[in-house]
Amino acid sequence: MEFKLEAHRIVSISLGKIYNSRIQRGGIKLHKNLLVSLVLRSARQVYLSDPCPGLYLAGHPGAPAPPQQPEESAAGPPAGWGEPPPPAGRAAWPEPEPQPERPAVPEGPRAGDAEPAATVTAAGDTLQGGEAAAPEAAWRRVEGPRETAVGGAGGPAEVAGVFPERPEAARGPCGCPPGDEDKLSAAPRVDGCRAPRPAAAEPPASPPVCARKRGAAGAGGGPADCPAPGSTPLKKPRRNSEEQPGGAAAAAEEEEEMETGNVANLISIFGSSFSGLLRKSPGGGREEAEGEESGPEAAEPGQICCDKPVLRDINPWSTAIVAF
Amino acid sequence: MIPGLGALTQDTLWCFSQVKGTVEVGATEADIISTVEFNHTGELLATGDKGGRVVIFQREQESKNQVHRRGEYNVYSTFQSHEPEFDYLKSLEIEEKINKIRWLPQQNAAYFLLSTNDKTVKLWKVSERDKRPEGYNLKDEEGRLRDPATITTLRVPVLRPMDLMVEATPRRVFANAHTYHINSISVNSDYETYMSADDLRINLWNFEITNQSFNIVDIKPANMEELTEVITAAEFHPHHCNTFVYSSSKGTIRLCDMRASALCDRHTKFFEEPEDPSNRSFFSEIISSISDVKFSHSGRYIMTRDYLTVKVWDLNMENRPIETYQVHDYLRSKLCSLYENDCIFDKFECVWNGSDSVIMTGSYNNFFRMFDRNTKRDVTLEASRENSKPRAILKPRKVCVGGKRRKDEISVDSLDFSKKILHTAWHPSENIIAVAATNNLYIFQDKVN
Repeated sequence: MEFKLEAHRIVSISLGKIYNSRIQRGGIKLHKNLLVSLVLRSARQVYLSDPCPGLYLAGHPGAPAPPQQPEESAAGPPAGWGEPPPPAGRAAWPEPEPQPERPAVPEGPRAGDAEPAATVTAAGDTLQGGEAAAPEAAWRRVEGPRETAVGGAGGPAEVAGVFPERPEAARGPCGCPPGDEDKLSAAPRVDGCRAPRPAAAEPPASPPVCARKRGAAGAGGGPADCPAPGSTPLKKPRRNSEEQPGGAAAAAEEEEEMETGNVANLISIFGSSFSGLLRKSPGGGREEAEGEESGPEAAEPGQICCDKPVLRDINPWSTAIVAF
Repeated sequence: MIPGLGALTQDTLWCFSQVKGTVEVGATEADIISTVEFNHTGELLATGDKGGRVVIFQREQESKNQVHRRGEYNVYSTFQSHEPEFDYLKSLEIEEKINKIRWLPQQNAAYFLLSTNDKTVKLWKVSERDKRPEGYNLKDEEGRLRDPATITTLRVPVLRPMDLMVEATPRRVFANAHTYHINSISVNSDYETYMSADDLRINLWNFEITNQSFNIVDIKPANMEELTEVITAAEFHPHHCNTFVYSSSKGTIRLCDMRASALCDRHTKFFEEPEDPSNRSFFSEIISSISDVKFSHSGRYIMTRDYLTVKVWDLNMENRPIETYQVHDYLRSKLCSLYENDCIFDKFECVWNGSDSVIMTGSYNNFFRMFDRNTKRDVTLEASRENSKPRAILKPRKVCVGGKRRKDEISVDSLDFSKKILHTAWHPSENIIAVAATNNLYIFQDKVN
């Protein structure tokens, strides 16, 4: 239990640091951000591996969502110092548990877990203040501009503008050839992808990420906004089809993929593309693909504890936490 | 004082000698000292600060009248080395903070040093001028051009003595070669080349050529998402111009030989100590990140500094260090708080004394620590204004870990974490040390009997 509290706190602090690092003078410090992301990963692992079923952090707006337990089983053995959930514990998770989280039944009673919904709603209010505010707000701030900036111009270039040190982040979405930074540079580096934009002026909006997600979602993308309603229907059937074959395991895997989708998403947003550190589960390859589609909706601004059914049921705190 | 005798025996007592810098509480951030370095003879001491300035102190000649007072360091030259810049292409502000200064060995009357900020390395020439030409034909005494019609005689300008003037001129600017932040520079023993290292790459330069550098180490992964470690420090071997080491954020050191291949991505030696599983925590990776690496003067050992320890490695043994010294192990239980207030990211440096028998590094509360490698004794000293009477002997300090606190001890919770000593320097041959405490530079010497 203390592990979870500690991990929870460390994750909030780490998110705050990553956010602050983007606005500090001198640009993003690669070394520091790498270390912070390592801590984030460790804390996340401990957080997810700590067996506290149905236990809600007193006074905290967040609570670990039980479905993470099944996720952990898919993720494999947790890091050394977290107590690995006993196999019996994992099996103890009621199977229908993950299902209510699916878009279909946001408010539906969850077996053995009636409180989360209430907690979630409460969390939505308490998130306005308190210590929860900072990282959560950071998340929302992250997502906010993304939504507004989606309509903006300059697709993949935006990302590079925010992360001057890693224009490669923009490479993926826009498919441009890598910047020429490796060459001996008497001349300033030129990267065809990039359009200069003041880093400070633009919070980590990533319309290119949206673009990528939209692209991946294919037809589901449609409208310009990231919170593309089109993508939701696309997602739902997939989830349903995923659920069918499996019981907790498949749904859990789906769950984890979605969360890792959040991971990949936030990573792109922050430019700390260290998902190599985070990808510890066996379903690595699939995660990314899933992540593409689930990303946009998972990361919608202001909707973390509102409309988006998926997120609403998964406590926003845990979403923020598991995202990294 | 016997030159070269650097052992921290029981007889060595450190005394306050000088302090440079202002006392006022509201010192600006620009005055914070960010690097300290003696030149090869110890005659000059250079400091760089966050405002991009370099201040060079020169040791005054020891006078026969004051045998007991060894040469003091006085300001010799001050100049603005780097200015803040804005990279328009990347919308990045480039800090002017001087990350490192390295002296070149003296080859003529002038002094040369390299100074670097995050992106640009500059070679500065510091020279004295004590004569000036007078008696120009075409210019008057103020330098204004004379009306040619008024010139009726021809004369040759003569050199006349003037007040000593020390001028610093940038002779070379090595720019645009680093995508990431430069953390180290190191002059090669051939005195023709030097290297600069950033988070992911190391470049080799020739002093004469500024528009080209060779990339000799590149650890950037093809996919940045797979990044797991960065370069934290690099240094050339003091005698072998083909050998250098670089340390990583994972606590490893790689020794490379430039004769092996043009790109030294594959190391010749790999130094790593297996992690102690009992010390595992959330912050294990952070505290194992090496913040500084220094070759011994002999070239036989390397010393590394991570957050809690200093380690000495023998170049011939890669699987573990030969010595490990705990700098402030009482912080191990406070790592979470130190993570919160960012102190855990502080990059402490470490230095050897002239004979490689004593090593020194900084800590918090303006404490700094010395470890005698032969006697295994260590001492904690403090750089503070209270101990700043001339030739006042520094009293060893002690941090009380728990339980009863003795009279002179300070408890861990009373430590001031805003007062950190990250940068220190040791005179190449004498027991004179320079300790940078935020915006003040303290100079201590051992007691002359």
